[in-house]
Amino acid sequence: MRKAFLVTLLFVLITCLSFATITSQTVASSLGMVSAANPYAAEVGAKILEEGGNALDAAIAVSYALGVVEPYASGLGGEGYAIISLASGEKYAVDFKAMTPAIATYEKLAELGTKISNVRYTPKGALVPGIPAGTQKIWELGATMPMADLINPSIELARNGIIVNDTFAGVVSDGYEKLLENAPEFLNDGLAWESGDLFKNEALADTLEILAAEGVESFYKGTLAKNIAEFMKENEGFITAEDMADYEAYVKEPIHGTYRGYDLYVPHPPVSGPQLIAVMNLLENFNLSAMSWDDPLAVHIIQQALVLEDVDRKFYISDPEFHTLPVEGFISKEFAKMRFMKIDLTKAMDPNTYFDNVGDAFVFDNGENYESVLLAEANKEAKSQEDIYESPSTTHFSVVDKYGNSVAWTQTISSFWGTSNFLDGYFFNNEIGNFASSFRPGDIINLTPGMRVRTTICPTIIEKDGQVKYVIGTPGGGRIISTVVQLIVDLIDFDMPIDQAVKTPKFVGYSSYKDVRIESGYPAETLEVLEKVLGHKIKEYTYPDLYFGGPNIISVENDGMMIGMGSVRRNGAASAPEM
Amino acid sequence: MKKILILFLMVSLIFTAIAAEKIAFEQPILITSGGQSPGALQMKVLAKASKLDYVFEKTISAADFDSGNYKTLIVVIGASGKGLGAAGIDIDAEVARVESLCQKAKEDGVKVALFQIEGGSRRGTSTDLIIDTLAPYADAVFFKLDGNEDGKFTQLEADYPIYFESFEKTSNVKSILKDNFAN
Repeated sequence: MRKAFLVTLLFVLITCLSFATITSQTVASSLGMVSAANPYAAEVGAKILEEGGNALDAAIAVSYALGVVEPYASGLGGEGYAIISLASGEKYAVDFKAMTPAIATYEKLAELGTKISNVRYTPKGALVPGIPAGTQKIWELGATMPMADLINPSIELARNGIIVNDTFAGVVSDGYEKLLENAPEFLNDGLAWESGDLFKNEALADTLEILAAEGVESFYKGTLAKNIAEFMKENEGFITAEDMADYEAYVKEPIHGTYRGYDLYVPHPPVSGPQLIAVMNLLENFNLSAMSWDDPLAVHIIQQALVLEDVDRKFYISDPEFHTLPVEGFISKEFAKMRFMKIDLTKAMDPNTYFDNVGDAFVFDNGENYESVLLAEANKEAKSQEDIYESPSTTHFSVVDKYGNSVAWTQTISSFWGTSNFLDGYFFNNEIGNFASSFRPGDIINLTPGMRVRTTICPTIIEKDGQVKYVIGTPGGGRIISTVVQLIVDLIDFDMPIDQAVKTPKFVGYSSYKDVRIESGYPAETLEVLEKVLGHKIKEYTYPDLYFGGPNIISVENDGMMIGMGSVRRNGAASAPEM
Repeated sequence: MKKILILFLMVSLIFTAIAAEKIAFEQPILITSGGQSPGALQMKVLAKASKLDYVFEKTISAADFDSGNYKTLIVVIGASGKGLGAAGIDIDAEVARVESLCQKAKEDGVKVALFQIEGGSRRGTSTDLIIDTLAPYADAVFFKLDGNEDGKFTQLEADYPIYFESFEKTSNVKSILKDNFAN
């Protein structure tokens, strides 16, 4: 008896010791890697890998965990997109973007005497959430562990609590007024959560237990769906039980592009995959590696490329189920040559003329070359586009396992706190704010029932010679593509290790900004050339600033060693099974 | 060496605060923001929880301040660009607003208590400007400990012979209100 007891004790001890993970801002391991915006979430994923789960298992677990530890940036009430690369060679783009409810129209808003800008922080601002459906769809694509096992770590986190970090405390402080009005039960006895506090979310733990026990279907057709429908009815939201039941996540092959011999796998519209490919195609025409990251000419070229393709994005990216989009033309190398010709190396484009320079991607949709298009005359009317504020919220994580599977996953509730309405322990997205504020003829982002609204997220997997090299992505609203592009250029053109690529100060090229928003850390001379010689207007932010996003990325070296780097701007972390 | 000195001064301050007599502020109380950060709203929650007789006016001007109706003015200091923007006011105008409020309070015999409850995360140039501008009018200053890591409030205490009290967590303010303001 005593011997049996000792053997059992030894077994338990060995088992506990063997479930060891290492979590830090930068981590190296050949046993798998998770990089996420919060160390708790990263560790949840690493533990799943440690237990023998694959990248899909770990990614699903991280998704749920982020809803617990970063309730302001994503969660059950949110949406997202994931790019998956399996060891078998199969690749998937999983769209779990939020869907517009059937009664959400401009006419309905007008009938209620309101408009989009007035409902962003009310239940009407919420679109049908997609994250739970996304996790289910991804599970079906190749997860190996029971879904309940992937949700359980989040139940524990929510029940036992987490220590609030500076980012969490800061975001609570910024959103305090809305939270006090719409979600007082979330607060700490009516006060803002502070760094060092123990934050528990019993309501979310209960909700996750229902999900684990009854399956994701409970969120769309069962107990949790009923709660959502009742809440919306009582609070004059648009989402109905029918909307919830109608929701589904989509799976496609990712869009494929190339950059200097690397293969890029990116999402489809209505998110920014094609825009990223378009920017990289344009930059490929410049010999960036002959410059350095802080060379004013490199900054100028990249910034102008970002602006040009952001202008194009506003005309060519929306929900492809509702609009005909020239995706093939937009991502073509020939279209990029036309855009390359627009960059003046001697001076910045006048911001007042950005929308006079929309590229015509449609003509390239049928494989035209740029010479023939150049020779054809085109009269273009100056176009205009509404400025839609894009919040720096959202969260991104990257996962690579030891079997050769990778996942790049970005999820969000749109603004931090979304609508700020709190139900069953989570917040609802307020994606309605990404539609045009009022109907405009011909606009591809008019509010439309069933539609998934355009946003700028862009989880990306980069391969070389068939092997995953980088898994990247970032939050940051309108700054997302700027940060992702700079990461790619820093990694590929400037040959930076990933920690340097993440830490290097960032800048933004965005058609809604007339200035170049840039983190401090560039040499004074670089800024002076940009301003005085090239004519840019510079707005400098003290480094590091959350405004520029929070990339959580992984690189895979030639010898199979994975290096994960968590965001320096947002208390991010990498975590891996210990070697 | 400087850190040790600051630590020593901070510890002295804590003991001084503990050892010193509590200051007594009377009600009714007007609570306003100095800088439009969320701290003022938290003070409103705390005042309600402490069952004080108070009025909360985030952006009240000196012209609208009917000093005859109040015994105490609480200014919760913390500058927020977002808050100022939402209030349609810039930092210079905000500083002028709260200074004129404090001036009127002093002239009319209303006691002034300054609170900095958001700590280090809310310290910055604009917040410090408000602190420095209002300190001469204050009868007491209450501050979160982690907002004094650079010794700002320690130095203020050396410059102004008024009541200073620190606290560790925002929730501690409830006790401070009960001890000093429920008169």
